[in-house]
Amino acid sequence: MPRELGPSLNERQFFLQALKEEVRIDSRGFGDFRAIQLDFGDEYGVSDVRIGKTRVLTNITAEVTTPFPDRPFDGPFTITTSLSAMASPSFSGPPSETEVLLARLLEKTLRRSGALDTESLCLIAGRAVFSIRADVHVLSHDGNLTDAACLGVVAALRHFRRGDSEVKGEDVKVFTMAEREGVALSLLHYPLCVTFSFYEGEVVLVDATLSEEQMREGSCTIGMNKHGEVCQIAKLGGAPVDAVILLSCSNLALRHVERMSKVMEERLLEDAKRRYKGGIKAEPSSENARVP
Amino acid sequence: MAADPILLPGDYLDPKVLPSHPSKALKLGPGLLHIPPNSIVSTVAGRLCTDNKKNAVWVEYNSGRYIPVVDDLVIATIHHSATDFYYASISDYSSNAILPNLSFEGASRKSRPQLAPGALVYARITLANKHMDLELECVSASTGKSDGLGPLTGGMVFSVSLAMARRLMLPKPGEQGQLVLLEELGAAGASFEIAVGRNGRVWVDSKSVKSTLAIGNMIQRTDQEGWMVEKQRIMAKRMAKEIS
Amino acid sequence: MPLDTSSYSLALLRLDGRRWNELRRITAQISTMPSADGSSYLEMGNTKVLCTVTGPCEGGGTRDRDRADIRVELAIAGFSGVDRKRVGRGDKRVSEMVSTIQSTFASTLFTNLYPQSTIHISLHVLSQDGSLLAALLNASTLALIDAGIPMRDYITASTAGSTSSYSSNDESADPLLDLNTSEEQELPFLTVATLGGSDQVSVLVMETRVQAGRLEGMLAVGVDGCKQVREILDDVVREHGKEVLKSGRL
Repeated sequence: MPRELGPSLNERQFFLQALKEEVRIDSRGFGDFRAIQLDFGDEYGVSDVRIGKTRVLTNITAEVTTPFPDRPFDGPFTITTSLSAMASPSFSGPPSETEVLLARLLEKTLRRSGALDTESLCLIAGRAVFSIRADVHVLSHDGNLTDAACLGVVAALRHFRRGDSEVKGEDVKVFTMAEREGVALSLLHYPLCVTFSFYEGEVVLVDATLSEEQMREGSCTIGMNKHGEVCQIAKLGGAPVDAVILLSCSNLALRHVERMSKVMEERLLEDAKRRYKGGIKAEPSSENARVP
Repeated sequence: MAADPILLPGDYLDPKVLPSHPSKALKLGPGLLHIPPNSIVSTVAGRLCTDNKKNAVWVEYNSGRYIPVVDDLVIATIHHSATDFYYASISDYSSNAILPNLSFEGASRKSRPQLAPGALVYARITLANKHMDLELECVSASTGKSDGLGPLTGGMVFSVSLAMARRLMLPKPGEQGQLVLLEELGAAGASFEIAVGRNGRVWVDSKSVKSTLAIGNMIQRTDQEGWMVEKQRIMAKRMAKEIS
Repeated sequence: MPLDTSSYSLALLRLDGRRWNELRRITAQISTMPSADGSSYLEMGNTKVLCTVTGPCEGGGTRDRDRADIRVELAIAGFSGVDRKRVGRGDKRVSEMVSTIQSTFASTLFTNLYPQSTIHISLHVLSQDGSLLAALLNASTLALIDAGIPMRDYITASTAGSTSSYSSNDESADPLLDLNTSEEQELPFLTVATLGGSDQVSVLVMETRVQAGRLEGMLAVGVDGCKQVREILDDVVREHGKEVLKSGRL
């Protein structure tokens, strides 16, 4: 019987007592995130987000497909999540509720809010479009998967370059990265999620760890962009929370989203700098780059 | 200690490092395999330890999962109770261990501790074999005394590596395990209770939430960041000042 | 486009003739299905939902041995929407609604009174015209009351929207109460459920983009709507109670 122990009574009591004294187990403030680390892979469209011990890897791929008949101008954009036994043994077997809710939250935050301009993916109306697929892999689970996954997908989408394309009559040619510089995706805004955990009706924690998540009475995920537009709110049941607290959460969410956006911006810039080999030097040469 | 050789799986043991005792037979501990006639090979990666008095040799290594061994002290979580037993769990994703209702100090049919699901007990393993459920006890069968075992109330549990749990349980942690943290804390005037389970769990209780957390975190950091003796001394003094 | 925003600003009337803070007609019955332990039928405008509750019955307690499990089944009839379409159980939107209903009632019902047992809530959607999740929650509350399962208070739900879409930064946008399908497709909206008509929000789901500043107004209108719904549901239960007393079944 594969089963997680979950926090013991002593841990629960201690945790609640600590909350009364305004202390968290890892001595963070109630409204503080753990350290966020964002890295990009060697290829375009691979992001690796670490929030504390939680780690999420996202990979974006593009291919040319025929669009759905009812949406001839839109390129399909799919997000798949995989919570394997790698992240936690409890995830083996059929997709758990956690996985379904995570996939649904990402879909609502990114797809329904129109973050990706799917019409820009159209090559020939009704015939050929780029289809974009985001694969989210949870590598290690220590709470707050949603925020990490959302940051990962947005960062990967911004980092991704699809092959440049040319349409000649009915023919579509997609160039490889070696032939032509890739094209960045057109994103309309960058929504990010912030999850709040509620305890004892009034204590609100941000970025809960796994054990804090196991002990929480309710949670609320707010998707927002840095312009202050709320893209999605999900408080799916759990203990009731005063409406005023929820409103203050949305204000707090904006602060965190602004901060996370800044981190993402900086890391993207650093990565771009790393990749930029300088105007003329970028020309292909016959020399072996590995030999100094 | 520094001279102890590091072994990797498949390494043959140099006969020179084996202890030589005139009368006792050589004892092989965990992590070693005897291949007849006279070679000994390591099956795990770790540090070779020898004991000349007992004529024993074993490999000290850090494994991920706790494998129960008879007479180990563990911190178990009560899962549920039945008529005669409590079912307790000592690690994630493993079947429950049996803790008889009467194996507590002074327990009788009429008076015995009532433990709710999720309660913690400090227990000794009495039966561990591969065909039967694990059995625990919270009282010494021979003396009828608890010897410090029994329900743990209050406090907080911290996870540490199995090697750290073993180091904390050594009779002389300073000499044998390079661990002076707890002694230094005590010497610096911090008062706390501690119970170490071989299953990688450490229970700490003290007069305030802050000091319990500080002590627990310090044990975890000593483990994870590999603090040496000197660093442990400094941090223990600093913390004792902060919490008092 | 279904909702003509310009006509709204002229007469301050919505397409179906309601004002901004008006609910649609809510009618409900309880004890509709004699075979179930508790049942209800609820209409919010043209959204029609059936709910039956079975239990608490033996078995369960898989999550927590000291509490009853709550199992929710949701079937959306193929003919319930505008275009005939089967919605499978694997649909993520459905499983999200199921888990929302489940976790809402898990923290509202006194499940600790029924250790190692299961309460089944089975919901059928006969017709959809907006505010679906709200209707499902309201119908479940009624059926659970009928089944006699102790709860802290009523869970009542309603939806609230805002008159202009997110793109226009219109400061004079009015919040709207209880949206129908055409309004839901056009406008930003949220579903809110509160405990016993108080300000305690148990469910808050929003799937559309909206200016953060508009959230407060929408939430206030939604919470107020929940209070109105609570009155209506309370009347339904009391009415049923009177009948039961009259017939001497108690």
